[in-house]
Amino acid sequence: MDDSNTVVITGMGAVSPYGTGVQALWEGLLSAKNCMHTVAELEALPMVNTKVAATVPTTDYSFIPRKYRRSMSRMGLYAYCAAQEALHQAGYEVAPDQLGFFMGSTLNSISVWLELTSYSQGAHLELIKTSDFLQIMNHSPLAAVCQALKINGPAMGGSEACATGLMNMGLGFLAIRQGLVKQALCGGTEEYHPMFSACFDIMQATSKNSNDNPAAACRPFDASRTGLVVSEGCGLVFMETKQSAQERGVPILAEVLGFYANTETENMAYPSADTLKKCMEGALQAAQVKPAQVDLLNAHATGTVAGDIAETQAAHAVFGPNLKINSLKGHLGHTMGASGTLESIACAEMLKAQQILPTHNLKQVDPQCAPLQYNTQVTNAPLHIIMKNSFAIGGNNCSLLLRRPQ
Amino acid sequence: MITREEIIKQTNEALAKEFEFKNDQLVPTAQLRDDLGLDSLDAVDMVVVLEQKFGVTLRQGYDLRTIVTLNDLYDFIEKLARTHHK
Repeated sequence: MDDSNTVVITGMGAVSPYGTGVQALWEGLLSAKNCMHTVAELEALPMVNTKVAATVPTTDYSFIPRKYRRSMSRMGLYAYCAAQEALHQAGYEVAPDQLGFFMGSTLNSISVWLELTSYSQGAHLELIKTSDFLQIMNHSPLAAVCQALKINGPAMGGSEACATGLMNMGLGFLAIRQGLVKQALCGGTEEYHPMFSACFDIMQATSKNSNDNPAAACRPFDASRTGLVVSEGCGLVFMETKQSAQERGVPILAEVLGFYANTETENMAYPSADTLKKCMEGALQAAQVKPAQVDLLNAHATGTVAGDIAETQAAHAVFGPNLKINSLKGHLGHTMGASGTLESIACAEMLKAQQILPTHNLKQVDPQCAPLQYNTQVTNAPLHIIMKNSFAIGGNNCSLLLRRPQ
Repeated sequence: MITREEIIKQTNEALAKEFEFKNDQLVPTAQLRDDLGLDSLDAVDMVVVLEQKFGVTLRQGYDLRTIVTLNDLYDFIEKLARTHHK
């Protein structure tokens, strides 16, 4: 491959249930710090079986100028912090000219929407403020962060539910490869609302057998798992060509080797192993990487019964039984639109540390999950290439390959 | 009827809460745009919070160009309050 066309990551920004910053994310993951808790609103709803979520710790965001903050719901505030961190790590105090920005979310702010609908129910539409509308546009966080950080290149918000973060990394990767932009911020953002948990609960996709022990609520691949735990946050990565990074003299954190996406058309909520297999094979082909070269699959694995089985069966079909596999949803819960990027950031940290994080809460592998190499503790291992998967309700699947800087 | 002092107090309270001003910024001669940094979007939201505060309709006949300073704003609300009271 022509090195000048290689896309690399030179900056990362994270807001997660472990707090603000990539360091807080990595330290939380390494120590398996508990960030799950019961939610009073869920406890008040007897028909909702799940009572647990993971949320970003309360933070004072008044350092963001009011002029910009007025257009930000919580997911916008998270995105501002993550974007600023990623820019700084990439060596910028202000956004470079024509920086691309690719970011989305599953839904927009439910809290602000509910405020708006409360106005209409009382027929007090005159109480609506401009800032309400500016916070609930589908691309509100994207637009608000562009204003605040003066990002003046193409800004596009791909939205594919749980795959949003990784899809936007793929978009950024392709935009740089195709020459649309030289540099791009890419990822996803999400803010928690109990409605998320309630909706996934109706679909019987939530964890429901560990409400009295929130720390153990999400158990990917485990025989006793019952579902996912909804979470929130924002992950953004700064991408550019390897040539650009070398010319600027900034450290390369990871190389992006390839990306692929496809869509499940048989069922919105249940991916088939065959479609997931084709997605992973597509990414390998795009990256010109052989299955045996992949050292680790960082799975989407949210802890749902059907999803984990389908993903492991697909992975087994592509890679065989020697593949090392982990999921970070047991630590973080499902950060929804942010998950693909937050977990990719964790992959870059694993490549740097040469350590494989365990699947938290995995005690006994479900015999229906395919036989793969599951690890239950932090493991030192030579890591060169990691595949990251993200699959969305709606059938949107994607896989991306990261390599340790050469 | 509401006094001018009460109008000033309640207006300042509403603006301080909505736009995060400190009390010493809210002097009568302060210009809404140039000194307090309120832009056209803020002006719309200012009308919403003041209408709630005083129970009057400001948006009809409201012209930001004629209201440059806080003092102009107090005058405008006082005039409306008097009309409303009649």
